[in-house]
Amino acid sequence: MTDATPFTRPKYVGTPVRRLEDPRLLTGRGRYAADIQLPRMVHLAIVRSDQAHARIIGIDTDEARALPGVIGVFSAADFAHVPDIRAPSRMPNYQATSCPVLARDVVRYVGEPVVAIVAVSRYIAEDAAALIDVDYDPLDVAVAAREASDPAAPRLHEELESNTVFTRRFSAGDCAAAMDAAANTVSGQFRLTRKTSMSTEPRAYVAEHDVGKDVLTLYGSTNVPGIVRDAIGRLLELGGNRFHVVAPDVGGSFGGKGSLYPEEVIVSDLARRLERPVKYVADRMEELTSGSQAFGEEVEATLAFDDDGRFIALDADILGDVGAYSIYPWTAALEPVQVAGFMPGPYRIPHFSATVRGVCTPKPPTGPYRGVGRPMAVFALERLVDKAASRLGIPPAELRRRNLVNAEEFPHRTGSGIVWDRSGFQECLAAACSAVDLTALQAEKARRTDKWVGVGVASYAELTGIGSRISVAPGMPMNTGAETAAVRIDSTGAVSAVFALASHGQSLETTLAQIVAEELGVRPRDVAVVQGDTALAPHGTGTYASRSAVIGGGAATKAARALAVKVKRVAATLFGVDPSDVQTGNGDIFVPGTNHSIDFPELARLVYSDMSTLPQEARETLEVQETYDPVFGTTTSSTHVAVVEIDPETLHTSLRQLVVSEDCGKLINPMVVEGQVHGGVAQGIGVALLEELKFDDAGQPITATLADYLVPTSAEVPDIDVVHVETELPDNPGGFRGMGEGGTIGAPAAIANAVADAVAHLGVEVNSLPITPNKLHALIAAASRQEGQE
Amino acid sequence: MMKPVAFEYVRPETLAEAVTALDHDDARIIAGGQSLLPMMNFRLVQPERLVDINRITELERIERTKTGLRIGALTRHANAARDPLLAEHFPIVAEAMGHVAHVAIRNRGTVAGSLCHADPSAEWPLLVTLLDGEIEILGSDGHRSAEPSEFFLAPLVTDIEEQELVTGVHLPLPAGPSGMAFEEVAQRAGDFAVVAAGAMVRVENDTFAEVRLGLGGVFDTSVRARALEGALTGQRARAEELEAALPLAIEDLEPNDDLHASADYRLSLVPVLARRALIRALHRATQ
Repeated sequence: MTDATPFTRPKYVGTPVRRLEDPRLLTGRGRYAADIQLPRMVHLAIVRSDQAHARIIGIDTDEARALPGVIGVFSAADFAHVPDIRAPSRMPNYQATSCPVLARDVVRYVGEPVVAIVAVSRYIAEDAAALIDVDYDPLDVAVAAREASDPAAPRLHEELESNTVFTRRFSAGDCAAAMDAAANTVSGQFRLTRKTSMSTEPRAYVAEHDVGKDVLTLYGSTNVPGIVRDAIGRLLELGGNRFHVVAPDVGGSFGGKGSLYPEEVIVSDLARRLERPVKYVADRMEELTSGSQAFGEEVEATLAFDDDGRFIALDADILGDVGAYSIYPWTAALEPVQVAGFMPGPYRIPHFSATVRGVCTPKPPTGPYRGVGRPMAVFALERLVDKAASRLGIPPAELRRRNLVNAEEFPHRTGSGIVWDRSGFQECLAAACSAVDLTALQAEKARRTDKWVGVGVASYAELTGIGSRISVAPGMPMNTGAETAAVRIDSTGAVSAVFALASHGQSLETTLAQIVAEELGVRPRDVAVVQGDTALAPHGTGTYASRSAVIGGGAATKAARALAVKVKRVAATLFGVDPSDVQTGNGDIFVPGTNHSIDFPELARLVYSDMSTLPQEARETLEVQETYDPVFGTTTSSTHVAVVEIDPETLHTSLRQLVVSEDCGKLINPMVVEGQVHGGVAQGIGVALLEELKFDDAGQPITATLADYLVPTSAEVPDIDVVHVETELPDNPGGFRGMGEGGTIGAPAAIANAVADAVAHLGVEVNSLPITPNKLHALIAAASRQEGQE
Repeated sequence: MMKPVAFEYVRPETLAEAVTALDHDDARIIAGGQSLLPMMNFRLVQPERLVDINRITELERIERTKTGLRIGALTRHANAARDPLLAEHFPIVAEAMGHVAHVAIRNRGTVAGSLCHADPSAEWPLLVTLLDGEIEILGSDGHRSAEPSEFFLAPLVTDIEEQELVTGVHLPLPAGPSGMAFEEVAQRAGDFAVVAAGAMVRVENDTFAEVRLGLGGVFDTSVRARALEGALTGQRARAEELEAALPLAIEDLEPNDDLHASADYRLSLVPVLARRALIRALHRATQ
């Protein structure tokens, strides 16, 4: 900076910086839990229940124990010292379940761990598993949630009062009276079947006990290492300085790796007892039968509106099929209660009433799944909005325009109590609709006979970056509202930013580096983002609930900003100028228009190693730790538009176009945002058209392989148009809103509405997802039979 | 459970060695491994010995015979799809291969593997049924051949005896210029067919000299719609005639009902795919 050319500092936030983790991950140099090989490591296989509900009469392990290579065979009695896993909640009318790490006396779903076998190889462990004979006495089952909710139904947990483990009511205004007085109502019974997260990498855990130091480390494919550390620490009575949880590279979670699993406790405990590292890698069938599952919800809802289409009241009755246990830490209420919470959507609906119940069934526990509660709420509400539009003969987009909260109406409190801060509700609707030629599509729809064409719109809002005042899960006594960032410059001048977050595909190594680089004045590649290791941060829960950009990014912004102040103060002493004259950028610290310039390594050397240039009191430690808690949260809004074509003869449904417009505040990296939208939409396509976990009447899973549980492939995912809308920035340090889940929230409803539009002329409604050609065939056949009778 | 039980592995270099290696109570042949390995990983099959025939390169050839084409057992789906002889005489093969799973599977999976796995929804059993192929089998007693109706007995069950292996399949050339077409409905690109239809049409003097329709995914094995074929032969070669005969395609058909498709849905697809395949075949036959 020897000349006077004005220095323009690079703006990293907002630019499509290439992912810093890509060279590692795309060339196979990532290190996942299953890649970890340790000396003397032994392998765990699990005998899982093949019964949905049964009493364990006896377990014969003799043959298995005798097999050469088997180190140990363990059942519930061998884990008597480990307390059962219980997810507490302050929610009234909530009953926690007791989940032993290995089933004790009773099994409650097919796939529940019953016996743990440790052997010198997984092959031998599996051979031994095949030799174990568990004698069961089958108990009665109520497989469907509605059946299980009957007080006379067989109880899954004898010690509980009923299978209904929580009931919660929401009410605002006078819903019943408003319904009665309303000119129009539309109703429906909507259902999202069970599905699962299906990340590329199955769950995998390796536990290692350093006997000399008495330090236990669990390497696990989890997105909540802090939660796992705290939970297992309590169960095994280990302090955080003796027990670390490390999430190495993690190949996706989508919620499925966001809860505590018995296997994590088992490998941790066995590694200490056996004094050998213990590894467990779930196979795909185990993922499909024992990973946490999603949805399984029915919503019966009515929307009341006046003749101009203004929404007046919404009533919803929500039934959640929560599975065998209330999952730790989120509880069984996580998903169904948020269906109720998000049910009013982005609209003005003065009167609201909802009842939500969660019912235990003999199936794997449900847990977080990308979008939590919102996909079901948005599907049900957006179907109702389309039905209302059809009733009044108003175009669906226009009806939404009339009811979406307007710019001047923020903050807006919904009937369920959520407060929306200013976000581009109307702007997203307008942007998405202008990306699609709705008029031409209507003409094409009328003209074409070779395909049924349908257009579907879905608008939604979601709360992201949720702070400490709001529980991510209802009544959960755990603070998920704060994260800490420690940004430091070491004596080589290198910048590290340490988080308790746990990126598992969110590109945090890039986006957090962009934030730190921006604030500090270095380049993103100069910043090493360190995360996923509980040894490095006192507290922090992980990456989930669209929180990392807002909360982690907020902490990063604060910490890097404060560190930049320190850097400038030191440089000002060195240059003999005022700190306000000092600027940083591109790895340099300088005073514009002068020849005062120094790079970060040189500054670090002067601060840490050189004992003469700077006075002792100016040699500040170049490290800042900051915590950020947004207290409440911030609103992300979006509208999705889907265009489908259905072959009238084969009923094959193809997605022709999918437009997503979203307002996620300031974009840190547009490429990463679009990647998140694309991935979320792909999952939403699975929700809408393909993915369904099915169980037979005895509770046996019948979709236990990827030949039967169908996830979308690239052939089923169209090009997705993403339109970024930025309105007012939210009041948080970076101006960010969370956006990792939205694709999965809006797409199912938009696609459902598009399919419903395409088949409306047949008198067929789309009330349950996924809607497959096989199901469409049955619906059309039923509708034509009904027509025949009339 | 995704780990096979321990097994013995042998890799013969010649057909004779392969037959010898198969002289074992519980031996299975592995070629592409695209069906066998998943079944072994699930422990649904637990062979004591695997006989790997991948070194027997003579099984990879596709060659002209006096009366047709002979496709070697080890021919990969991907190679069949781009083979010039097959493209010339049986262009339907390349068309059908586009529906076989995904590129990686097409690069490994073999013709004989698909035939011996005998999935009722798979493409090769349907092609061989449609094209009146003869399955060539070698055993300790020498060579024999089997017609599709003798070979495919039930889902995943064939006429192959212990100590036998399929060496290839012979496809006789049609008696004259013909048109062929393949249609398939699957849940996703590359999935096993819910229903597949293959058609072959030969036209002489403006009349159907020969019509063949094969259906896969509908029943326990691939089947031919013989009633429809018989009714159309000798009729004027017109699309209307094909349309009129379609009800015969579902006559006496009792489709399977499974997780993915009801019997009703399958039944509704049969005339649709039959029509599309037959009309395209007719069009190609008269080009």
